[in-house]
Amino acid sequence: MSFEEFQNSARLYVIGALEPEELQDFEAARIRYGAAAEEFINQCYTLHEAFALSLKPAKASAAIKDRLMAMVRERSERERGSAPRK
Amino acid sequence: MSSAADSSLQGMPASDVEVVSPGKSAVSVVEPEPGLPTDVDLMAGIQATDPEALSQLYDRYSGIMKALILRIIHNDTEADDLLQEVFMEIWNQAKNFSARKGKPLGWIVILTRRRAIDALRKKQAYARAEERLQAEPEQQPLAWVQNTTAEDITSGDRRALMAKVIQSLPEAQQRVIDLAFFQGMSQREIAAHTNIPLGTVKTRLELGLKKIYDSLKELKDEL
Repeated sequence: MSFEEFQNSARLYVIGALEPEELQDFEAARIRYGAAAEEFINQCYTLHEAFALSLKPAKASAAIKDRLMAMVRERSERERGSAPRK
Repeated sequence: MSSAADSSLQGMPASDVEVVSPGKSAVSVVEPEPGLPTDVDLMAGIQATDPEALSQLYDRYSGIMKALILRIIHNDTEADDLLQEVFMEIWNQAKNFSARKGKPLGWIVILTRRRAIDALRKKQAYARAEERLQAEPEQQPLAWVQNTTAEDITSGDRRALMAKVIQSLPEAQQRVIDLAFFQGMSQREIAAHTNIPLGTVKTRLELGLKKIYDSLKELKDEL
């Protein structure tokens, strides 16, 4: 697999679109190309941000944040309460 | 979903998200407003179990995250529930995030997409989504980038820029990327779903993703 072919596969890999039979060749090339391969794969994850940011933001139910924050604060306080005192 | 589709999470981290979070050197598409804490600051706050940091992260990204979830599961109530679950996961898994290894938004999007696709499968909503897709096969790619106007784009809005990049692809490429990213379909599933030869699906995916990737690199200078 050339590095260009590896790059094509890497972009499929990060969105989970590689077929199982392609994965083996991809992993072999990943090892062969070493740090350059890892760096390129990391850069490809930017695609995730791009797809998400291409969407028009949707408004969440107002109750969701209240519920979330109540759960988080309760958990946070519980953990603080159970922490060993010094 | 086939086993191939299950492997669609192959590049997506679970609790060990730090292993494959987006690279620090990746093209940046989001910068915080001046004067506000950065995403990394907020993640540090969450790691220190500061609820206010999570509250601010919620205000900053819940809209994008809900849009992503909705795009995958097509149900508003389920999307709200899932949004809450994802933020709880962010709270619980924050210790696994490493700013040295990646950007918070990329990590968050990966988490969100994974949870949404999991939910899609668990609730067998896939079949319903497929019916919807079959009912409106030509509208799907357009719905992906709807509401993008010239005014949005000239205003420099990042969403519009991202949408513009995707919109610039041929519709056939948009369609296969849409099915792969937002529906979690494997190449084979896309081929079966669209009656397009597998080789064509692969070529369209590769060309489309390369164009988006290259455009993002160019946009880096504009942003």
